[in-house]
Amino acid sequence: MNVSILEERKGSIANKRGKGVSCERESVSGSVSQRACVYCGARVVLNPITDAYHIVHGPIGCASYTWDIRGSLTSGEDTYRNSFSTDLRETDIVFGGAKKLTAAIDELMEKADPRPKLIFVYATCIVGVIGDDVEAVCRMTEQKYGIRCIAVKAPGFSGTKSQGYKLACDAIMTLIAPHKNQAKQFGVNIIGDYNLSGEMWIIKGYLAQIGIPVISTITGDSSYGKLIQAPSATLNIVQCAGSSVYLAERMQEEMDVPYIKVSFFGIEDTTSSLLRIADALGVPELSQSARAFAKKKTAEVLPIIEKYKPYLKGKKAAIFVGGGFKAISLIRQFNELGMKTVVVGTQTGKKDEYEIIGSIVDEDTIVLDDANPAELERFMIEKQADILVGGVKERPLAYKLGVAFCDHNHERKHPLAGFAGIENFVREVHLSINSPVWQYVKGGAA
Amino acid sequence: MSENLVNLNVNPCKMCMPMGAVSALYGIRSTMSILHGSQGCATYIRRHMATHFNEPIDIASSSLTEHGTVFGGEANLLKGLKNLIDLYHPEVIGVCTTCLAETIGEDVDAIVKKFHERNPDESVKIINVASPGYGGTQNEGWFAGLCAVLKQVEPDTTPNNKIGIVVPQISPADTRRLKSFLGEMDLDYILLPDISDNLDGVTEKEYNRLKTGGTPLSEIAKMAGSKLTIEFSEFADEKLSPALYLKEAHGVPYVRLPLPIGIRGIDELTNTLISAGGVVTKEYEKARGRYIDAMVDSHKYNAQVRAAVFGEPDFVYAVVRLCCENGILPVIAATASVSPKLKESLLKELESCHDFNFTKGITILDDSDFAVIENECTKQKVNLLIGSSDGRRIAHKLNIPLIRCAFPIHDYVGGQRVRILGFDGSLNLLDQAANAMIEHTETHFRAKMYEKFYSPISSTSAIPKDKTSTHPCFGEHACKNARIHLPVAPKCNIQCNYCLRDFDCMNESRPGVSSRILSPKEAFERYIEIKSQLSNVTVVGIAGPGDALANFEETRETLRLIREYDNDVTFCIATNGLLLPQYVGELKALKVSHVTVTVNAVEAEIGAKIYKHINFMGRTYSSVEGASILLSNQLVGIKMLKEAGIVCKVNCVAIKGVNDDHVFAVTKKAAELGAFMTNIMPHIPVKGSAFENLNRLGSKEIVRLRDLCKVNIKQMSHCRQCRSDAVGTLDEDISIMWRHKPKPEDKTNASNKGMCKEVKQGESTDSIQERSA
Repeated sequence: MNVSILEERKGSIANKRGKGVSCERESVSGSVSQRACVYCGARVVLNPITDAYHIVHGPIGCASYTWDIRGSLTSGEDTYRNSFSTDLRETDIVFGGAKKLTAAIDELMEKADPRPKLIFVYATCIVGVIGDDVEAVCRMTEQKYGIRCIAVKAPGFSGTKSQGYKLACDAIMTLIAPHKNQAKQFGVNIIGDYNLSGEMWIIKGYLAQIGIPVISTITGDSSYGKLIQAPSATLNIVQCAGSSVYLAERMQEEMDVPYIKVSFFGIEDTTSSLLRIADALGVPELSQSARAFAKKKTAEVLPIIEKYKPYLKGKKAAIFVGGGFKAISLIRQFNELGMKTVVVGTQTGKKDEYEIIGSIVDEDTIVLDDANPAELERFMIEKQADILVGGVKERPLAYKLGVAFCDHNHERKHPLAGFAGIENFVREVHLSINSPVWQYVKGGAA
Repeated sequence: MSENLVNLNVNPCKMCMPMGAVSALYGIRSTMSILHGSQGCATYIRRHMATHFNEPIDIASSSLTEHGTVFGGEANLLKGLKNLIDLYHPEVIGVCTTCLAETIGEDVDAIVKKFHERNPDESVKIINVASPGYGGTQNEGWFAGLCAVLKQVEPDTTPNNKIGIVVPQISPADTRRLKSFLGEMDLDYILLPDISDNLDGVTEKEYNRLKTGGTPLSEIAKMAGSKLTIEFSEFADEKLSPALYLKEAHGVPYVRLPLPIGIRGIDELTNTLISAGGVVTKEYEKARGRYIDAMVDSHKYNAQVRAAVFGEPDFVYAVVRLCCENGILPVIAATASVSPKLKESLLKELESCHDFNFTKGITILDDSDFAVIENECTKQKVNLLIGSSDGRRIAHKLNIPLIRCAFPIHDYVGGQRVRILGFDGSLNLLDQAANAMIEHTETHFRAKMYEKFYSPISSTSAIPKDKTSTHPCFGEHACKNARIHLPVAPKCNIQCNYCLRDFDCMNESRPGVSSRILSPKEAFERYIEIKSQLSNVTVVGIAGPGDALANFEETRETLRLIREYDNDVTFCIATNGLLLPQYVGELKALKVSHVTVTVNAVEAEIGAKIYKHINFMGRTYSSVEGASILLSNQLVGIKMLKEAGIVCKVNCVAIKGVNDDHVFAVTKKAAELGAFMTNIMPHIPVKGSAFENLNRLGSKEIVRLRDLCKVNIKQMSHCRQCRSDAVGTLDEDISIMWRHKPKPEDKTNASNKGMCKEVKQGESTDSIQERSA
């Protein structure tokens, strides 16, 4: 079936180094966007807080579809792996759901083990429409029980997933603001890493070996007690800029914690990130230590890359991921492998990120924002992509088109960050691209 | 969550109506769906379906915004319909509403009408499904979708010879099987819906993003003229029953049957089909015979099953029936739907089951969630879960096998190929149940019988075998494995008479012997370094030189750093037990799996001879008072270790003339408290200590003592009384390789350098003691 591009979508697709690709816009109705919603964005960022009770105030679907689907790991409590919902029904819609929410929280305070010290209440689509004052309920909870209870008003229709990230960052600020006047201590906060398959632990381990203390992690493997120490850090390092740079900006302004953006995907970005963190801290010994560490680790992984490279050189990659920063790292990673990125897109990339993408891809690479399956199909075929990097929704499409696939989403069970992740990534790319199954799919055998 | 909550759904066992509606529409030919609501609904549902079916799932959204919510979503929906047609060219579009569209009161009929007015040439059939997320589960959504299709298609009432077949959500593979069964019986039928191709596609040369399998609308129209409708649902709301609608609107006779799972369900279907003109083949007779043969083969294994069945009402009922037919006790039947009728039917079904199993306590849960189901599983001692993969959290937590046979299945492949219908589907379920029992018996019966009948020592029953067997001190055959002792704990809170307080603490055998104290960070670095060079390191221990718990800040930080880096390594600490009750919880949280407690006496009077004084909660206690405080904390602490699942070894220093006659009593007590083993070791007379002039027990006397105490508890016989900074296997302490490494700013180290030397067993300790500040 031929794919004609919808008129409203044409501005979001570009080649010639992605020049002027239109982004940061609402999705087009009926286009089958791959994006989720505001609630999703907020939940993604806050979910890894391990000892928080995340209550979805709304009908059951949103809680059901987000129950423990992400691979954020914990070294402490695992309350966050449960899904709590007020499960609103028809009568609640008619008579209001605030009472039910209050009763739910009271019951939780009475019976839950461990006793909640931090609750997030996510108000989904219809809560605002039926007029529940969720903020009032949360305020009363804080007064009554002396705990933190924060409303995240995230109706799905109130913007894109990015708006949800912003709401989550605001919620974190609400949480830590009362603690902003602590004495500073030497060390960093790692922001925008969600400890997928232990990635936060990997990065913390690197920093520990270099000699850089980590004060708080936001939000991978975090807890209430640790989060509120965040204002005392000397530096914020921001891994997933798409979700968290707004938080870093607010902390810089309101708490005097400067930040730098980093990425731990691929040798190039991991190395430069470690060096930049050490440099930003202004301790020459640390810079030296970081350089030595990165050198040692690079020497360890280079042979692995060399081993796989002959099997991957010249292959063509398509990338469709959530944020722009990840896409940029992936393009570099494919370059390290001698592969070319022929299609690259994101769900919620920003203008400056698309500019960087444009500067590192070839002239004829297709750059697209908020793509739909039809567009991905067309350009993967047109550009003869050998592999797609994306999330679970895109996987079956790639397979149906005879294209290999690399999972780079929140559900994966192996780390892709840091030097440890490089081997996983390269192996996964190789095992999928060069799998024997394709020769039968593509008609190689009778 | 230990208590059930009434006002909060904890871990949902259901999905929402739009999910069911779009799933059902996947069984209609050349159909696309658009969800009228927020963008997220479509995306979440697509993700849920894509991982289950392993198929591309394209569902559009009208992507309502703030503006649309306030002023109505008409413009969005009109544009969405147009775009969907441009992209997919469908013959049918299902417009399914969501929470949002219903709450803001969208008039979808009017919008659709307007669409047709504006696009007079557009031939696409638009079907409008009211599916608010709060209106029910995906089951109601499924039937709402089917009813909407039936009601909105132009009916063809010309009588035909077909049977209309209405199915609840079953897998594509089961749908295929059902179709071939109807074909084998030589019947003409119309399946509503038929997801067999669209949700279990083939790899083709050219990919077609519009799914062209499924039942065409023209066929569905003929259900109004069918000779019979068979609806495989007894529990769908009558207002949402396609069969009832066809009867009321077009006078088509109907039967509502349970899903053909289990012998009665299949027979009921077969008999119905025979009366509708179907012919039973020889092959069918054989299949039935084989099925009954297999029921008999497995019945004793199945009789061991205590099953929890959870899911939508029709699934639960049919599977519970299968259970009852086979002697499986369905101790929990749970649905998250609201279905009083299901409870009624189940109670009736379970009557005979109650009798056979001498039980009355079968739990039926309606409008339930997984937190409640989990609590019931523990109470009811469930040993098999049957349902969707959402039960996997319970399966992992309670270590119960789960048969994944209902939507959604996220953690396994093959959701689209699940088979539970008909003889082979039922057998597939039965075989999995029986094999789960066989597997459990095979894995456990040797150890179980051995423990129950062979060994008189019952305290060994709860050992986590894996970690213990690789621990060089606890596992007898683990001598190839190495351990690292990290000297981070300099302080001690008791004074033993055999221990020279200035130098060491006789806490673990030859403790206090350490070249220097490490900070937690240094300890972590040493661990990384040693680990990179010694691949057989399985254990990290903190054994002083003082008491691990008297320096708990350091102990905790050290373990925390290492645990972050290495989730697998075994943690082991040694203590005199004084602070044990205070820290067992934290030890467990740090995943410390092994603790050694030195207990030299279980009578305060004897203890008073051994302990000069203790420091507890800021005060010093001596003689019997001190010894009894220490003793009571040791006893409580060891018991708590047992409860926390931490393996405990009790060390006992046998001191000639002081407690050597009392060692037997110590080991007996240790066994009672649930310790795993005891380690009786000779007191090493240290010059300058109160006991410096006592004689040491000879190795023969120690062996005799251990032999004697064997009847009480397992004995450690391979102790090497090692240093608190030991590295390597028990037989080869290579800590000297690391001990010499000077700390750059450590001035005391230079003068002590010459004093560091390898310690041989039996050598006096005082010459090699040293301590950093």
